[in-house]
Amino acid sequence: MSLLGPLAVATALLGAAAALSLSVLRPPRIVLDALATSCAAVVLGLTTSLLVASGRGPVISWFGGWLPRRGIALGVDFAVDPLGAGMAALAAALTLAALVFIWRALDHAHGLLHALLLVFLAAMVGLALTGDLFDLFVFFELMSVCAYALTAFRIEDQGPLQGALVFAVTNTVGAFLVLTGIALLYGRTGTLNLVQLGMTLHRHPHPEGLVVVAFASIAAGLLVKAGVAPFHFWVADAETVAPTPVCALFSGVLAPLGLYALARITWTVFLPALGPRASIITWPLLAMGTASVVIGSLMCWWQRNLKRQLAFSTVAHSGLILLGVALLRPVGLAGAAVYLLGYGLIKGSLFLSVGALMHRFGGRVDEDALCGQGRGLRGLGVLTALGGLGLAGLPPFAAFVGKSMIDRGANGPALVLVAAAAVLGSVVTGATVLRVAARVYLGLGRQPTGAVHRHGSRRPGEAEPEGRSGPVPLTMLVPVGGLLLAAAVAGVAAPVRSGAARAAAAVAQPVAMAQLVLDGRPMTAPAITVAAPDAADWVLGLGSAAAAVALAGAGLAAAAPTRARGSRRLRNGLRSLHSGHPGDYVTWIVVGTAALGGVLGLGLR
Amino acid sequence: MTVLPYAVAVWLLLVGLYGVVTSRHLVHLVVCLAVVQSSTYVLLLAVGYRSGALPPVFAGEPAHIRAVDPVVQALTLTDVVVEAAVTALLLAIVVQIHKRFGTLDPDRLQRLRR
Repeated sequence: MSLLGPLAVATALLGAAAALSLSVLRPPRIVLDALATSCAAVVLGLTTSLLVASGRGPVISWFGGWLPRRGIALGVDFAVDPLGAGMAALAAALTLAALVFIWRALDHAHGLLHALLLVFLAAMVGLALTGDLFDLFVFFELMSVCAYALTAFRIEDQGPLQGALVFAVTNTVGAFLVLTGIALLYGRTGTLNLVQLGMTLHRHPHPEGLVVVAFASIAAGLLVKAGVAPFHFWVADAETVAPTPVCALFSGVLAPLGLYALARITWTVFLPALGPRASIITWPLLAMGTASVVIGSLMCWWQRNLKRQLAFSTVAHSGLILLGVALLRPVGLAGAAVYLLGYGLIKGSLFLSVGALMHRFGGRVDEDALCGQGRGLRGLGVLTALGGLGLAGLPPFAAFVGKSMIDRGANGPALVLVAAAAVLGSVVTGATVLRVAARVYLGLGRQPTGAVHRHGSRRPGEAEPEGRSGPVPLTMLVPVGGLLLAAAVAGVAAPVRSGAARAAAAVAQPVAMAQLVLDGRPMTAPAITVAAPDAADWVLGLGSAAAAVALAGAGLAAAAPTRARGSRRLRNGLRSLHSGHPGDYVTWIVVGTAALGGVLGLGLR
Repeated sequence: MTVLPYAVAVWLLLVGLYGVVTSRHLVHLVVCLAVVQSSTYVLLLAVGYRSGALPPVFAGEPAHIRAVDPVVQALTLTDVVVEAAVTALLLAIVVQIHKRFGTLDPDRLQRLRR
C-alpha cells in the first residue's frame, strides 16, 4: 500500500525516459502516443487507489528504510492524505486527457513533448504527496522547469518565447523566495519534515518575527505559481501562447498546486507555530484573494482572445480558492478542495475545447474572427456552454458544491466578502464563456467587420497548425466531455464531500497528525459533517447560472465594447499593468512580498 | 555567530532583484537571477555553519566531534543543480529570442509584441 505513491512518480518518470529513448528510433507517432497515454492511465489508477486507501488513514512511506526514531524524523517521507492523493489524481486525470487530445493535434509533436508531459506529471504527483519541505521545493522546481519548456515548445514563434521568458523569470524569483523561507525555517528548527516542523515550532509559545518572514516569503513564492494578484501577471502571458492542451494543465492543476502547497504548509507548519495569533494571516490572504477575483473577472470579460480569457479566469478562480483556504477553518479548507477539483476538471475541459477550435480553424482564437464559424460543431458547442455554466456554479457540478462549503466556513464580515467575491468571480467568468459560445457556435451578437475577419487580431507566432474541415476528431471530443462528466460526478458523489471534510478535519489537527506520522500513535480526528447543499445553495447556484446567462446576453446585445469613460479608463489602466515586461512583473512580486511581510509583522506586534 | 553572512545574503537578494527589475539586456537579467540565487546559497550555508567546527566527515572520528551541519550543504548542492537547469533553459530561450526578435532589450521586445 505504501508503495503506491512512490510507484506513481516512478511510473511517470520511467515512461518519460522510455518515450525519450524511443523517439531516437523515429517510431510511428502512434507508438509514442500509446506509450505516454497508457503511462498516464497507470498513474491515474495508482493515484486513485491511493486516494481510496488514504481515506482509511494517512499512507506513509519512508524512503530507504530511514524510519523516525523516538519521534524524530531522520529520512524523507511521502505522507499521503486524501487531499494530497486527490490532487495527484486530478493531475493524472488532466494529463491523461491532454495526452489523448494531442493524438490528433500538434502534428509536430514527437517524443520530447510526451517526455516533458510525463516528467511534469511525475513532479506534480510528487509535490502533492510529499511530506518533506525541501522535497516539496525540488518537485516544485522540477514542475516549473517542465512548464517553462512546455510553454516555449513552439520555439520558432515569437509569442511562446516571450511568454516562456516572463513565466520563467517571475516563477524563478518566486522559487527563490520559497527557498529563502525554507532556509529560515530549517535554521530555526533543524528539521525539514513538514509535521516535525509544525511540532517543533508549536513548542515555542511565542511566535517571532522569523516565523512571519518565513511565512511571507514562502507564501509569496507559492502565490506566484497560483496566479494570485499581485503575483498573477505571468499567467495571461504564458497561458495565451503555450500549446492549448498544456494550458489545460497549467490552468487546471499547475496554478491550483501552488494553492495546495500553500494550504498544506500553512496548516501543517504555520498554524501550530502561530497558535492563537494565527488569525493575523487571514485578512491579508482574503484581501489578495478578493483582488484576484475582481481583476481576473474584469480582465476576462474584456478580452477577445479565447485563451487569454480563460487565462484571466484562472486568476479569478485561484483567488476564489485562496478565499476558502484563508478562512483557516476546516470546512473552508474542505470547500476549497472540492471547489478546486471541480474547477480544475471544468477548466481543463474548456481549454481543450478551445484547442479543438484551434485545430479546426488554424490558430485564430479571436472571438470576433470566429463569430459564427462554429455553427456546424454542435457537440463541441454544447460542451463549451455546459463548461461555462459549470464555471458559473450550476448544480450539480463540483464547483457548486465546493462554493457552498466555502460559504459555510465563513461568518461575519468575512462571509459577506467571500460570498460576494464567489458570486462575482463565477458569474463573470462563466458569462464570458457563454458569450463566446453564443458568438462562435450560434453566430449571435455583433458581427465582425471585414478587416477583423481577414486578419483577426492574431499576434504573430500564435498560430497552431492550419485549419481543416470535417467533424471534430473523437480523440478531442472525448477528453472535453469526459472531464465535464467527471466534474459532474464529483459534484453528485457524497463520498467526495464527506471525504474532503474528514481529510480537512485531520489536517486541522497538525500535532495529532505529527504524532501519527512520527510515532505511529493513532489519531482520532473529530468528525465534522458537512450537510449536502440545501435549498438556499441550490437557489444561489441556479441564480448564478441564470445571472451568467443574462450577463452573456447583455454582452451580446451591446453593439460595441462599452464607451463609458470611467470604465474605459479602468480597462486601459488594468491592461497597461499587464505589460509583458519581466521587470515590471518582478517589481510587483517584490512589492507584494514586502507588503505581505509588513502587514503580518504589524499584526504580530 | 556573526550577522555578516546574513547581511551578505540579504544584500545579494536585494541587489539581484534590483538588477532583474531594471535590466536592459536579457543575458544581464538571467545573470541577475543567478545573483538572487547566490543569496540562497549564502543563507543556507550560514544557517548550518558553526565556528571552529570540523567538516562533517565522521569516518574514524569520535562521534561527538563538533561539525558543521551537512544537511544544508546537501541542500545547497541540490539548489545548484536545480538552478543550473533553470539558467540553462532561460539562456536557451534568450538565444532563441535574439534569433526571432533581433533584440535582447526587454523594453524593445515589449514594443515589438504590441
